[in-house]
Amino acid sequence: MTLDYFANLLGPVWLPVWTLAKIVAIVAPLLLGVAYLTYAERRIIGYMQVRLGCNRVGPWGLLQPIADGLKLMFKEIVIPSGANKGLFILAPVLAMAPALAAWAVIPFADGLVLADIDAGLLYVMAITSMGVYGVVLAGWASNSKYAFLGSMRSAAQIVSYEIAMGFALVGVLMSAQSLNLTDIVQAQAGGFWHWYWLPLFPMFIVYLVSGTAELNRAPFDVAEGESEIVAGFHVEYSGMAFAIFFLAEYANMILVATLTSTLFLGGWLSPIPGVPDGIVWLLAKISFVLFLFLWFRATFPRYRYDQIMRLGWKVFIPVTLVWLLVEGAVMQTPWSYLFH
Amino acid sequence: MISRIKHFFDTFLLTELVRGMALTGRYFYARKITIEYPEERAPQSPRFRGLHAQRRYPNGEERCIACKLCEAVCPALAIQIESEQREDGSRRTTRYDIDLTKCIFCGFCEEACPVDAIVETRIYEYHGEQRGDLYYTKDMLLAVGDKHEAQIAQDKAADAPYR
Amino acid sequence: MPNIEIDGQTIEVAQGATLMDAAHQLGIFIPHFCYHKKLSIAANCRMCLVEVEKAPKPLPACATPVTEGMKVRTHSAKAVEAQKGVMELLLINHPLDCPICDQGGECQLQDLAVGYGGSASRYAEPKRVVKEKDLGPLVATDMTRCIHCSRCVRFGQEIAGRMELGMIHRGEHTEVMPFLEQQVTSELSGNVIDLCPVGALTSKPFRYSARSWELGRRKSISPHDGLGSNLLLHVKDNKVFRAVPRENEAINECWLADRDRYAYEALNSSERLTQPMVRDGDKWIEVDWQKALTQAAGALRVLRETHGGNALAALASPHQTVEELHLVQKLMRALGSEQIEHRLAQTDFSGDTKRKGATWLGMPVAELNQLQRVLLVGATLRKEQPLIAQRLRQATKWGAQLNVVHAADDELNCRVANKLIAKPTAWVNALAQIAKALLEAGASLPAEVAGQLNNVTVSDAARAIAASLQDGERKAVLLGAVAQNHPASAQLQQLAAAIAEASGAKLGFLSPSANSVGAQIVNAQGAPANDAKGYLLLGVEPELDVHDGGQAIKALDQAEFVVALSAFKGRVMDYADVVLPIAPFSETAGSFINMEGRLQAFNPAVKPQGEARPAWKVLRVLGNQFGLAGFEHDSVEAVRAEALPQGEAGVAARLDNSIAGVALQSLAAQAGLERLGETPIYQLDPLTRRAPALQRTQDALDAACAWTNGGVIERLGLAAGNNVRVRQGGAEAVLRLCRDDRLPDDVVRVAVGPLTAHLGARFGGISLEAV
Repeated sequence: MTLDYFANLLGPVWLPVWTLAKIVAIVAPLLLGVAYLTYAERRIIGYMQVRLGCNRVGPWGLLQPIADGLKLMFKEIVIPSGANKGLFILAPVLAMAPALAAWAVIPFADGLVLADIDAGLLYVMAITSMGVYGVVLAGWASNSKYAFLGSMRSAAQIVSYEIAMGFALVGVLMSAQSLNLTDIVQAQAGGFWHWYWLPLFPMFIVYLVSGTAELNRAPFDVAEGESEIVAGFHVEYSGMAFAIFFLAEYANMILVATLTSTLFLGGWLSPIPGVPDGIVWLLAKISFVLFLFLWFRATFPRYRYDQIMRLGWKVFIPVTLVWLLVEGAVMQTPWSYLFH
Repeated sequence: MISRIKHFFDTFLLTELVRGMALTGRYFYARKITIEYPEERAPQSPRFRGLHAQRRYPNGEERCIACKLCEAVCPALAIQIESEQREDGSRRTTRYDIDLTKCIFCGFCEEACPVDAIVETRIYEYHGEQRGDLYYTKDMLLAVGDKHEAQIAQDKAADAPYR
Repeated sequence: MPNIEIDGQTIEVAQGATLMDAAHQLGIFIPHFCYHKKLSIAANCRMCLVEVEKAPKPLPACATPVTEGMKVRTHSAKAVEAQKGVMELLLINHPLDCPICDQGGECQLQDLAVGYGGSASRYAEPKRVVKEKDLGPLVATDMTRCIHCSRCVRFGQEIAGRMELGMIHRGEHTEVMPFLEQQVTSELSGNVIDLCPVGALTSKPFRYSARSWELGRRKSISPHDGLGSNLLLHVKDNKVFRAVPRENEAINECWLADRDRYAYEALNSSERLTQPMVRDGDKWIEVDWQKALTQAAGALRVLRETHGGNALAALASPHQTVEELHLVQKLMRALGSEQIEHRLAQTDFSGDTKRKGATWLGMPVAELNQLQRVLLVGATLRKEQPLIAQRLRQATKWGAQLNVVHAADDELNCRVANKLIAKPTAWVNALAQIAKALLEAGASLPAEVAGQLNNVTVSDAARAIAASLQDGERKAVLLGAVAQNHPASAQLQQLAAAIAEASGAKLGFLSPSANSVGAQIVNAQGAPANDAKGYLLLGVEPELDVHDGGQAIKALDQAEFVVALSAFKGRVMDYADVVLPIAPFSETAGSFINMEGRLQAFNPAVKPQGEARPAWKVLRVLGNQFGLAGFEHDSVEAVRAEALPQGEAGVAARLDNSIAGVALQSLAAQAGLERLGETPIYQLDPLTRRAPALQRTQDALDAACAWTNGGVIERLGLAAGNNVRVRQGGAEAVLRLCRDDRLPDDVVRVAVGPLTAHLGARFGGISLEAV
């Protein structure tokens, strides 16, 4: 094969080169997806608000994200005089890196995964938790009270929802009895009614909502809260530094959509037995979940900060705990197949 | 009791959220009201308050009599008038400036004018490319009026029965 | 003292008061047009109709005297209906041209029409149109707007003293007009603008230039005559648009002379000096203040070192403020010069050592109305002091006897009891006659004067004046500007003082300039300047202000260095070496002391034009330039505190008109034609000289002519109306000859002005010859 030819040619250098190639193969379409997710958001929310959205740059406005990207690239990055310069620059990197790193363990189809590790789910949880550091650091390093308020809100919010999210995932791994994401997908085989969204419906809802909260997306976008604290943690950012926060947010959206599809909606599996599985199904499911995120944003007004805390601590955590108990109890009974 | 149970299920089953999403979902397919501006235009009333103009009488005499009521009524202090007696003894302005960057287009000047000299036209497509371009002097305002007199007269006639 | 009730409030008012007075006391407003507190009651507008209990019809409040137990309702249905009816009638013929009317925004008719007028008129017929009248260069007319309140007519009759406007025809055809197509020539004519409740009479120079609501009001003091009328300057965009009176019962009441009202035009004159300039050969170079001041101080310092301090002289205008005059005298004295003078038109300074204090009116201005006997010496009263003339006119209406000694029998627009009209050199004799007549009538004269009267023959006129002065109470002997500038001024003063003492009258000086008294108080006077090497001019135009303009110009031409502080360009550019632009009264803070010794401070109304600066600051910095101590004032108040340590009280202590020890040497009149050289009403100071509207008045045109009586004209074979050559000393001027038979023989009245500036002294021999 050609691949073997190159492997022999490069010898020990081959492995990193091949890995890099695979990373590029994942990241490049991902960033393209991010770009067009912004376009989709503007068009979809526009439509829901009875207007057209961007339709001027290129045919149907398709070149709009390119134009925006170019604009941001050429804008000056203003660093506030009182800012901690190093952290100020580091923060967007810290926000972006986890959003990309988590993709290492995501299976796109049977065997199509960069790193098929057994503790994939743990890896994902660990990596995604890192994302908040970017936000917190950005707010702190800006030396601006609005940014600081935004980052504090963000920190509190992520701590709260991390727990509910974790419990929701515990339900999944109890059902799949594996932390390997490929195994989790395969455990859902056999038609859409075998997917975990059905037996773990409360967990699914909790995960979806917590995911939205983790993403700082509407209606949980108090960290940005433009009506109260201008733009929250990234108020002082401009140009490409701002663009990286922007990319990180949308990359994270796609990541959470992918995880939701993988954990609860059967990943690359086709919904009806007999129809061939494949990456197409995964993309369709990701698109559906992303559409839900946009739909939320178009529909719900922003939560008040204390309401967010109440929802996280007093509703989601009890609900997931109860459902874990129910699941655990049922699994000790003859009806345990209900959860497999 | 019944209502509390109902409330519990309404909350727990997220019915309100679903109804909200149903609403936005419906509008997703609704007819869009966007007017695509350069190709399409919104309809204009004869009372449209756009760019100002100074009018003349048909014999070419400027209407403005320098009564300064517009200057007095202007809430944005956008109008500057200086006046004196012209050689023929009539009361005329020597300066009539409107700073369009101050103007809030409330139309009070037009309302205050006893001789329909200062009017706001239908024109809204004008711009300035440097500081001071939107500071309209008497000559500029008269030029606007001269150019669009037909339209202004027509609009005034259409609005006359309601004044 | 009747008790009455108005709108439920009871009040006790003086017997004979009207309902309008009573309502004013209670603070109740009754609408009115023709009523004015200073004018007689006409009751012809009918706007003030009120309901009086038991009266069958509404009564005019302005003309109804109160009676005991009257019950009045000003806002009852009946009263309001009457007022509305009157308003509707007034509006029938009043044009709806408020947008182009200068009165708009300050119009009584407009204001009251809001309260009492209907929202629409029932009158559909054509309105009356009245032909415009030409009232001269000061008052504009739109007689169609007239509502026939007759205030302007009554003003002419009662205040100005001459009925120049009148009403003709009846009913709808009534018109206010000047008689026989004349113009209004009164020097108080501007007041009809304030009186007119509508826009029929408005200010001509102000016409159409601004609206009342956009003008800021700034208090100020008139810088012209010695009265110190209180002004409100109306300003907009850092420019004075007009001057109107500020009511002060003690000074100008609610009136203003035209000079005070229209001189503001000069403030915006194109002749304003707005940049310091230094001479370079025949060219003027605009420089910055630093350079101009360094150059001025440097040149004066050199002159001082080479010729001594007394080689420097300062001429200061008595129209400058107390602070400026104080600083200029302080500067000159610090430089070692005593040559400082503000009495520029005076020639006789021999009285200076015989007098104890500063000359002043001798009484408060308001007391002039109460005088019963007045002797007016050498005062062209109406032109010198228009509002003092008005006060004396009121006094004569109440029976005062006005006696005049002057070289011109001018119309004073009031009854003159006795007059002694003689040529200027005969004045000492004339006063001596009066004094002797008093002596003969048994009054006691000071011995030193009485002893010098042996050769005086008393005429009948002098005897009549003496008789007039001997009875009555509250008497005054007033010396006008002509008497003060007279070559034998000290002798005139000595005689006037003696007459005053003998008749029990007060002696008063009618100060010709706004700050004549203040200049004396701060001692801005010393030895008169004659042959100085360096001159400092403060607000002075020597050719017009100094008694002998020709000589003054010569002196300045010969001087080595002349620094002029001036608000205006003009002749000053011919002889000055450095000109420093100073701010006129509207642009500086300062104070004037008027003829009654009242200290009136004022603040700037607008910012100085261009690079002009208040003169007190310029003088202070000049002091610094010379390295003198005591020029560290940081505010005009600090200067004033230094100039007048005890304030107004200190001023009062230094006012003293008494004079003693002057020998009477000029008892015999000279033969031949004599000049009577007054400062005309509109040539008083640099401001009035540059007020275009004032210069177009009849008074200003008359002042440019040579006047003499028919006998002289015949004797010399001249013809009135032609140009004549006027010769005085070596100088000559060609003027139009006019005939005035009220002048005595041998007097030629040639006033000071641009055409006559280069002639000789204001008094003395003069000759006329055909051109």
